[in-house]
Amino acid sequence: MVNGYFRYIDYGGSLEYYIFELANFSFLALLLCLCYKLRFININSLIVWSGIFFLPLVLNYFIFSPSLFPDQFQYASEVMSLKSKGVSIDNIASQNAKFSLNLWSISIPTNPITLSTTFLGFAPIPNFMTVTSLAFANKFFLFLSFLGLKKFFFKDENALLLFFLIPSLLLYSSLALRETLIIICSVFFLLNMLKNNYILSLIFMLPLFFLKIQMFAFLALYFVGRLIFRANNSFYMLVFFLGFVLLASIILQDEILQTLNYYRQGFAAENMDLGDGIYGYYAFSLYGDELAKSLELTSMLEVIWVSIIGLPKLLLMPYPNTWSNIFYPIQFFESIFLIFLYWSIAVRNNLLKNKEFIYLSVILLLSCMLYSLLVFNVGTFVRYRFSLFFPFIIAIYYVATLERGNKIKLLA
Amino acid sequence: MSFLKKIEIKSKVLLLKEFFYDYFWKKSSLNLGLASLILSFAIIQFSTPQFYISATLRENQESGSSSPSLGGGSNGLISIVSSDSNSFDEFRSNIYSYIIAQRMWEKGWATEIYAGGDKSIDVNKIEKPHTLADHLGALFLGYKLYDFYSPHDLQAFISSKVNLQKEIRGANITVSMLTSDQNFGLSFLNELILNADKYAKEFLILKSQAIIDGTYKQLAVSRNSAITASLAATINRESLQIATLKNDLPYHIYFIDPPYSSEYPVTPNTLAIFISNFIIFIFLSVMYNFIRINKEDLW
Repeated sequence: MVNGYFRYIDYGGSLEYYIFELANFSFLALLLCLCYKLRFININSLIVWSGIFFLPLVLNYFIFSPSLFPDQFQYASEVMSLKSKGVSIDNIASQNAKFSLNLWSISIPTNPITLSTTFLGFAPIPNFMTVTSLAFANKFFLFLSFLGLKKFFFKDENALLLFFLIPSLLLYSSLALRETLIIICSVFFLLNMLKNNYILSLIFMLPLFFLKIQMFAFLALYFVGRLIFRANNSFYMLVFFLGFVLLASIILQDEILQTLNYYRQGFAAENMDLGDGIYGYYAFSLYGDELAKSLELTSMLEVIWVSIIGLPKLLLMPYPNTWSNIFYPIQFFESIFLIFLYWSIAVRNNLLKNKEFIYLSVILLLSCMLYSLLVFNVGTFVRYRFSLFFPFIIAIYYVATLERGNKIKLLA
Repeated sequence: MSFLKKIEIKSKVLLLKEFFYDYFWKKSSLNLGLASLILSFAIIQFSTPQFYISATLRENQESGSSSPSLGGGSNGLISIVSSDSNSFDEFRSNIYSYIIAQRMWEKGWATEIYAGGDKSIDVNKIEKPHTLADHLGALFLGYKLYDFYSPHDLQAFISSKVNLQKEIRGANITVSMLTSDQNFGLSFLNELILNADKYAKEFLILKSQAIIDGTYKQLAVSRNSAITASLAATINRESLQIATLKNDLPYHIYFIDPPYSSEYPVTPNTLAIFISNFIIFIFLSVMYNFIRINKEDLW
């Protein structure tokens, strides 16, 4: 069923824009009041979530131009096209990315934008009229995930609420991007794994194959290690698992190196700027040969070495010398805080010898090492790093609650 | 059945009912619901219906900024995203440039935009109104406000009204604008696109001409046969460039769809405004009652 009511017009920051988006906010705030009345949330959550829901209204157009994150327009156009015409926008439709299930005569979109907008389109908000509408859809699903976490995993609602106040989460969930969905899927995957709900975990992991393939790879590694090798149960099994991973990567060295080099060149090309309007792939096509050669990794040993060297950069970026917008200083201090929080949860709750914690940290470290090989665009990788780091922080917090019950300590 | 007991459906339904009667089913909701209708009527009455004018263009693959062949491992990579963003950027810069605004001005578009199409008014004598903020700014900072519109204003008009978008990883460019006058929008957009493209060609012809002139001077003093041959090749190449550019064919872009207008005004979206205002006002009513009843908890 399609609905001509949703049609993509660039309303900019006009009065109509604020009317449409204020209606979306009002709807979510009503939902919040209802949840409070039904005693799903406490008064602190009610107040904090009211603020979180209001955030999309003050970011796009008000604090910064939405073209700072230009992908948003692609998502907004796609959701409106799907809702008004039932088909994707031209350049996505031309890719014909679908996975067909002949048995039931249905097809699932495999294009990450179509898949995420299809899902976000289920949010029962009144308007999908502007680029900010999807941000409200993101907020809706983030709130649902908060309710889910509170109901099934965490008893301390106030402590859980604090995790939803991390600046990057507030920012990315206030934009029309797919980051929120990736984070939600990853968080529920890890928590269900920790609860030994493997089928449920698998259900949360599968969409990541289309939404963010590298996240899928990291979590699949965790899945295999936990399910087959039981690397979370004993130190020896963890070493055996890591040995197996190393052996497999040596056997498949050529394929791995080819893929890594391809992505390294891709990210480097995207970030290349020669001035005078010559940048990106065009600049790379002109003068990228030397750079391509210098970036090429030739052995697994080199991969490991380069990834270790690149780790501090990935973990702490954006460095002060690259601060070019208001978010960078915030994200720099946030990255330090998140590392401190990770360490703090572990130390204050005696997790350093906890095998579950060790296994989670090893997978996080391996994932970060892999990301560190590809860091060329600061903005992109600050985003990637957060969507990797946040689910693991929630996961170790859950391990801590399992270990310590109500005596959990976050920072104090 | 223990599962259903756990959910406590009965008590939840009671709470829902309570919520409905305590916060929603109130006189204030009715009053504000009616107020929302009045406000929506007012907004729609005071809004100017606007048509959506758009043209779909595609970059001309033979334009000057085509990239040379790639080396090494980058070949496959570039084939994924082979769009010449440089060409699009150049076209975009031309559209929003002062020189194009000046050309559009000379063609009399200022009369259409600022004088309601009254051709009896001198294009350089169209009076420009100023806001109170403009007057205050001029007074405090000690500069004089211009009494008449200039090409700078037309440039600002183009920048604010005309929107250029290229699909990410796609080839189509959409040039669009919202206007209350369909005929004006169609011809304005068409002429703007053609002028921007023509300007790019003129610039390249001038550039080639300048290179030829300079090369002739070098040729006159050259004593080395190899250099002479190279200079002659340069002159040949630039002459060929001029020959290929001196025609009416598009340079940067060509039309896939010439400017066309939406059949009906696309904004204001009447239904969306009514629904949105209704939701906002009902929310205000619920919030008022909610805060009144729960003020002890909230403070």
